[in-house]
Amino acid sequence: MSHEKKPFTVSGAVRSARDSMLEDFARLALAVTTTNAWRKVNAAVMKPTLIVSAVVKEKRDEAMADVLEKLNMPSRQEVTNVAQRLTRIEMALDDIGAGLDQLRKQSAAPRPQLSNGHGHDRPVKEA
Amino acid sequence: MATEEKATGFIDRLSIMADNLLKVATTKAPIGQTPRQAIWTLNKATLYRYTPVTEQKHPVPILLVFALMNKSSIMDLRPGNSFVEYLLSKGYDTWLLDWGTPGPEDAQNGLGDYALEYLPRAVRKLKSYAGVETFTLLGWCIGAMLSTIYSSLRGERDGLQNLILLTAPLDFSKPEAISLAAMTEERYFDVDRVLQAYGNMPAGLIDYGAKMLKPVENFVGGYARLLDNLDNPKVVESWHAMNTWVNDPIPLPGAAFRQFIVDFYRGNKLMKGSLRVRGELVDLSKLTANVLNVIGEDDHITPPCQSENLLEKLGSTDKQLLRVPGGHIGLMAGSAAAKGTWPKIESWLSAHSG
Repeated sequence: MSHEKKPFTVSGAVRSARDSMLEDFARLALAVTTTNAWRKVNAAVMKPTLIVSAVVKEKRDEAMADVLEKLNMPSRQEVTNVAQRLTRIEMALDDIGAGLDQLRKQSAAPRPQLSNGHGHDRPVKEA
Repeated sequence: MATEEKATGFIDRLSIMADNLLKVATTKAPIGQTPRQAIWTLNKATLYRYTPVTEQKHPVPILLVFALMNKSSIMDLRPGNSFVEYLLSKGYDTWLLDWGTPGPEDAQNGLGDYALEYLPRAVRKLKSYAGVETFTLLGWCIGAMLSTIYSSLRGERDGLQNLILLTAPLDFSKPEAISLAAMTEERYFDVDRVLQAYGNMPAGLIDYGAKMLKPVENFVGGYARLLDNLDNPKVVESWHAMNTWVNDPIPLPGAAFRQFIVDFYRGNKLMKGSLRVRGELVDLSKLTANVLNVIGEDDHITPPCQSENLLEKLGSTDKQLLRVPGGHIGLMAGSAAAKGTWPKIESWLSAHSG
């Protein structure tokens, strides 16, 4: 079995060098990001960011609620409550719809035939 | 003459490469294109039924459920590379439950809401619309987690015949083997503070966390692969579709995310038998449907240890573990899926859909 050697090209050499560099970087990045030190740094950066975000969000919501109240408009919380209530109504309607579907199917199903108790159908009396 | 032809060929190639680069940089690929009909909706969730392309050969319909934090279009990525298209071509009545994109009003939605309010109602509609009593459920990633909870608590009552789990994150007993578990440890990650700041878990943060599991591959490697194949329309098209899907994540409802971190990642409550959803204890031994558990051997997001011991906990008598090559998404949407994973799943499904 013979292995054909690929002819040398500049682009091939560049690509090969790039790939091996990326592989080294990948190994290095993985070695760094899986350490506890990295996680600690991430947590240290994240904590103040989240605290500031939460405070800003709270203050913004309060200010917005004030403005909306003065404009006689519903606040974000009120709109959220309405949306949640609508979902619950949607669920109730879905259950009612399903119940009606079942009733419709039951009423459309053929009724059991009357029997005279001896395995024969009772003859229908004609008027 | 030959030099002139070479020059023309080179210019043509450059022009194709420039066109392709412009396309992937400025447009989104059309994904999730298989014709379908919306049959039912609830809040943001929609139940779709795909238009059959051939005579229906299996009486049991299949319902696909994907994760909450990415779009379900991965099930139907693009013509020629779509699991939905494949199922339709094999004569399955194929349905999809799409969770939609949650808003601030959905921050209180927990896993129980999705598993016990949305999913049972979608199943009820599917059964009534299709006129069937039994069905197959296929869950992928968190969709598999929701499907497992649902199947344990409601599966038998609702007529669940088959359950297919793909890359299911269910067992957290080996946190040292799960990179995301280390990232979300209590001392490094304050889940309540995140939710206090954002309400829902922001899509960008989820995306960042997932990509940081393999930073160079995700942030650089993909683009290097594209660069190498810029003159190959097939590769560019496939890359573009996957890139469009990957870069379109959606937020995870706050309460569901909190449960995921606290009850699953940190508490491993499902496998310990102590998980309570809406007050109901999730007992895996009550899951009696036929089960196929599919694991990606190279999955770094949900490594094999997260579900390989699941089957022994289930009450099912017909259960099978299937290991396939590929990663978390690649096992179903990669170029080898159509010849590897899909036929194996279909062969099991066909034998259980009579």
